[in-house]
Amino acid sequence: MLRLGIANLVVAMLACAEGFTFVIGSPVASQQFQFKAATFVFRTEGCGDAGTAQVSATAEGVLKGERQSVVLKVMPGSKPGVYAVFQSWPAEGQWIVNLKGTCGNAHAGAIVPMGPKGFIRESAKFFPHPATESEVETALKPLITGAKK
Amino acid sequence: MFGRHIRHQVAGLLDGELPLAERKRIEDHLAVCGLCRAEREQVRAGMSMLKHLPPAQAPDTIWNAIEAAWPERQQRSGAWFRQGFRPWFLAYAALVMVAAAGIAYWTRVHHHERQWEVVKIQVSAGGDKEPIRKVAGVGPGDWIETDAASSARIRVGQIGSVDVGPNARLRVVATSPLEHRLTLERGEIHAKISAPPKLFFVETASATAEDLGCEYSLKTDVQGLGVLQVTLGWVSFQWKGIESLVPAGASCRTRPHAGPGVPYFDDAPEELRNALENLSGERSFDTILRVARVRDTLTLWHLLARAGVSDRVRIYDRMAALTPVPADVSREKVLELDAKTLTRWKEALAWTW
Amino acid sequence: MVPLSDREVSPEIIADCRAGDRDAIRVLYDTYKDRVYSVALYFFHGDESVAADVTQQVFLKLITSIGQFKGDAAFSTWLYRLVVNACQDMARRRKSAAWTTERSRLEEFPMRGSQEDDYARAEDARSVRDAVSELPPKLRMAVLLRYFDDLSYEQMAEVLHCSMGTVASRLSRGHKRLADRLKSLIGAKG
Repeated sequence: MLRLGIANLVVAMLACAEGFTFVIGSPVASQQFQFKAATFVFRTEGCGDAGTAQVSATAEGVLKGERQSVVLKVMPGSKPGVYAVFQSWPAEGQWIVNLKGTCGNAHAGAIVPMGPKGFIRESAKFFPHPATESEVETALKPLITGAKK
Repeated sequence: MFGRHIRHQVAGLLDGELPLAERKRIEDHLAVCGLCRAEREQVRAGMSMLKHLPPAQAPDTIWNAIEAAWPERQQRSGAWFRQGFRPWFLAYAALVMVAAAGIAYWTRVHHHERQWEVVKIQVSAGGDKEPIRKVAGVGPGDWIETDAASSARIRVGQIGSVDVGPNARLRVVATSPLEHRLTLERGEIHAKISAPPKLFFVETASATAEDLGCEYSLKTDVQGLGVLQVTLGWVSFQWKGIESLVPAGASCRTRPHAGPGVPYFDDAPEELRNALENLSGERSFDTILRVARVRDTLTLWHLLARAGVSDRVRIYDRMAALTPVPADVSREKVLELDAKTLTRWKEALAWTW
Repeated sequence: MVPLSDREVSPEIIADCRAGDRDAIRVLYDTYKDRVYSVALYFFHGDESVAADVTQQVFLKLITSIGQFKGDAAFSTWLYRLVVNACQDMARRRKSAAWTTERSRLEEFPMRGSQEDDYARAEDARSVRDAVSELPPKLRMAVLLRYFDDLSYEQMAEVLHCSMGTVASRLSRGHKRLADRLKSLIGAKG
């Protein structure tokens, strides 16, 4: 009986660990008027209790040839697991937003490139781990190259 | 040994308002009474919280209202007012003169205490805008009209502003804390509003835009043919039970006697946007379904309620092919246009818009 | 304390106001309007419309009765007596209906600075405003008068028609209630 209970617990934990990821969207997805001016909103998926996930964000970018990093404040929404990111990085330069999350033993990461009209949804990348430095640099390259043209 | 507790005098101590002898007595008591020391810290904490309360600025319209209600009396410096004249009459005379100069004017119908501020902007011959240093208050019932050479900016209470383009005409309907509303008879406005839902409304002949906290442009003619384009946030565009949700990056046309149309993203394929112009056309529907992207489920979702049963099936199937249907959204309920099901699906789809 | 204005009007301005000088009255208005408005605004739970009405009533009353100001007390004491009376009159008329309606969105809008800072500031301001709104009227008025105009206890006693001990008691109780109500905010700020 005890073994069965432990087995169930392990299965449950694995279920929580699998599929933990981010979903990003425009502010309208949050249905929260306080977020109407947010750069984008995101939610966690695959975390059993959405409210227990730990999330953080940084803006990584290049400004006048210098590599920069800005810690962002992630605003929780009224619905558990929904958050907003507001722009607090410089308007100039090329930037991506690097999202990181943990849910129990599971991790998730996302890189969301920023363009002149806001976040570039189609270029966003999602990982089952926090994005590595190399992945961040790879995401920044096309933005820098594009800016030079 | 402890003496009387001093909890009701703590604020006086912290504010330095106690006479010296009293202050000494209290400090002696605090040295031996943990209860009162805890009380002191609580009062101190409460005082520190007030720094989060921002001082407010009295709106300029209050002085306008005071002047209008100024009791008649002899004035030493009567630069503005003379006996026998009422403030609103002088203001109206000024308005007539301004109108004769071909600048934006407004018609004052009633004097109202709760007013919006209007700043007139005149476009000079060189094309650079120069604000005219004339601010007036408008309230319910007042009209604002601009000619070909002018525009205006209306400050809507404390919640934002509306820029009025040339050749526009609009009327202020309500300026209360529970509702700000205007009617756009013709022309174009650009609204930038920061407010909770159901506070700011713009009516046209064919639809009402309910601000849900956003920035948008709205253009209409007297018949009600127009277009709403949202650049920030989202707007609910409504008319007689027909509602279109228009998020940032999307537009929605409106037609006389038909209300708001189907919203579409401004970057939607041109074929889709053209097909929406002529929905009754034979191939229009096919085109929309064929070229729609994931993001265009905004358009498809709104089409569901406006399509016949057979077309609804096709729309559902196309949407299901574009993006996974949530587990709690059943095909059957969607085709029945079950409101709760449609709302759940919209909330899920909004993450792709 | 956050003084909204460091200015006070000179005796000459007050004398001109008593003589009916419109420009002097405008100076008086400009000196005190924000303080009066702030007290009214937060007394009435952030209701801008009511605060505007109260402010208007205060200054209209001032215009009609400034001839009665003899100069034997500080002008601000006399003015704030008008403010307290106007708030009490309005409260009687409104029967506290405003509490249940949508209240001011002042602090819900981005004003200056980064949007996330604005959001955090707005949330803090709303919490404090709500806590102030929950104070009983006598404690609420005492807290607001002290905070926005830095009146002395002696002045407040004159304005509120009570003793200085009562002023101290109301302020002690009012601030303590705020601390109780805002525990989580106090904890977060450290």
